[in-house]
Amino acid sequence: MSKINKAILNIENLRQTAQKDQWVNRIHPLVKLFLTIFYIAIVVSMNKYHLLGTLVLAIYPVFIFIVGEVSFKDALRRLRIVLPLVCIVGILNPFFDRTIVTYVNLGFATSKYPDGMLAVSGGFVSFFSLMIKGVLTVFASYLLIATTTIEDICYSLRKIHVPKVIVTQVLLIYRYITLLLSEVNKITQAYELRAPGQKGVAFKAWGSLVGRLLLRSMDRADEVYESMCLRGFKGDFDITRQWYGESNKNTFIGDLSFAIIWTGLILVLKLVPVSYIIGSLFI
Amino acid sequence: MSHIHIDVENVNFSYLKDKPILKDITFQAKENDSIGIIGANGVGKSTLLKLLVGLNADFSGSIRVEEIPLERKTLSKIREKIGYVFQDSDNQLFMTTVYQDVAFGPENYGLPKDEVEKRVEDALNKVKIPYLIDKPVYQLSGGEKKLVAIATILSMNPDIILMDEPSVSLDPKNRRNLINILNEFDHLKIISSHDLDFIWDTTSRVILMSEGRIVADGPTEEILRDEALLDRYGLEKPLSLTERNN
Ligand SMILES: Nc1ncnc2c1ncn2[C@@H]1O[C@H](COP(=O)(O)OP(=O)(O)O)[C@@H](O)[C@H]1O
Ligand SMILES: [Mg+2]
Repeated sequence: MSKINKAILNIENLRQTAQKDQWVNRIHPLVKLFLTIFYIAIVVSMNKYHLLGTLVLAIYPVFIFIVGEVSFKDALRRLRIVLPLVCIVGILNPFFDRTIVTYVNLGFATSKYPDGMLAVSGGFVSFFSLMIKGVLTVFASYLLIATTTIEDICYSLRKIHVPKVIVTQVLLIYRYITLLLSEVNKITQAYELRAPGQKGVAFKAWGSLVGRLLLRSMDRADEVYESMCLRGFKGDFDITRQWYGESNKNTFIGDLSFAIIWTGLILVLKLVPVSYIIGSLFI
Repeated sequence: MSHIHIDVENVNFSYLKDKPILKDITFQAKENDSIGIIGANGVGKSTLLKLLVGLNADFSGSIRVEEIPLERKTLSKIREKIGYVFQDSDNQLFMTTVYQDVAFGPENYGLPKDEVEKRVEDALNKVKIPYLIDKPVYQLSGGEKKLVAIATILSMNPDIILMDEPSVSLDPKNRRNLINILNEFDHLKIISSHDLDFIWDTTSRVILMSEGRIVADGPTEEILRDEALLDRYGLEKPLSLTERNN
């Protein structure tokens, strides 16, 4: 199967997991949206030398992974795209930031480390904490998408009065992305069949290929939009719709407590040096 | 007496300024008509159908649907009455599961949840695919997609159905199935196609188009048997008729 086909399949699978009727999926999208943004902000704001403290924040994604029954394997796959980028951003840290911040007891002595202590520079610590931050933020946003449908996210955005234009954009982009990918698939397949033994697409064909792709996806996007309009879509979401009730077993109080508990917990983990406290218990 | 459902008078239309696509189109369609619009590729069949649901604006002349003139402000009312099935089902279906897609229309018109569910079930039963209800759309075959696309409009209980080239990419079994479904639908339907066998099996009246004009309008029996006429406009007599005559 081609890479593009796989990508389409991944997106479709993700959409399906988002639709499962489960507790995490039923939580009000606003709660999840808020928690995710809050969580990402906290993770990003962690001190770059505070490796353990950042690591401890993993408790939130771990919790959602378990309770929401989200496939960890799929989430890892997502990392493949992001991690190399984070790596590139952080790779120079160890070269510039050479101040020693800590020693690791190796427990044995070598000719290079006569006292058995490995010196760790600030650059390495900050490099690793950057990587961890990358992983955690990717996981957090992945978990949001994997447990909330795009329609629900848009609905909640409208609830907090984000302008209609923006919300509709979000919705359409999400719907068009598979369209675009399947056009890419068709065009590259047609190309490959007529250019056997060629790896990738020849440079001179790029221009016309991309042009065609653009035109065709625009045509298709037009029709999708027309089809939405024909079936009564007026560019808005039913924001009078009640989230809780007959088809949703979650309760307002339950979701609210979920929000409060996790906001509190994340804040505590950020403000109180829990990792040091736990660490000191063992030393 | 049957009501006039669609009334098109002296309609002209062009996408680009000096390249008219539809020229002086006039016809009326009654409540129980089943009309085939035929003509070679590019004569403007799709354009005409899209015009009727207000997807192509800026035409001149008048279009009335159940007495309501087609204008910007009547669009939503008219679209509630007309179901339009796109040629390419892939572009018509945009939700994740069959249920969601079929429910999209009724939900947008603000029906209560149990009514929406009932509409979805009814629509899927009509096209004989109730078992697909929870399937993801991307896993469907071409024929199934076409049937789901039809269900998405049946769920809105339209008075009129427009279909653009419905038989393209269907295998014989799906094609036969679709013919039966269309023949069960007893409201006004207009079907564009260059598949004349399909038109023969599903319609009682034919409008023949050429270069943006209506060149013939009459009973299917008559027009599809008129080899000279069809030949003049680049079409071939339905296969089933040729066989029968030989
Ligand atoms: N969006 C468009 N912009 C400009 N020209 C178009 C567009 N869509 C169709 N046309 C032109 O209008 C003519 C009629 O097209 P169409 O209605 O699709 O024909 P048919 O459905 O009978 O094959 C064709 O010449 C086509 O090139
Ligand atoms: Mg056409």
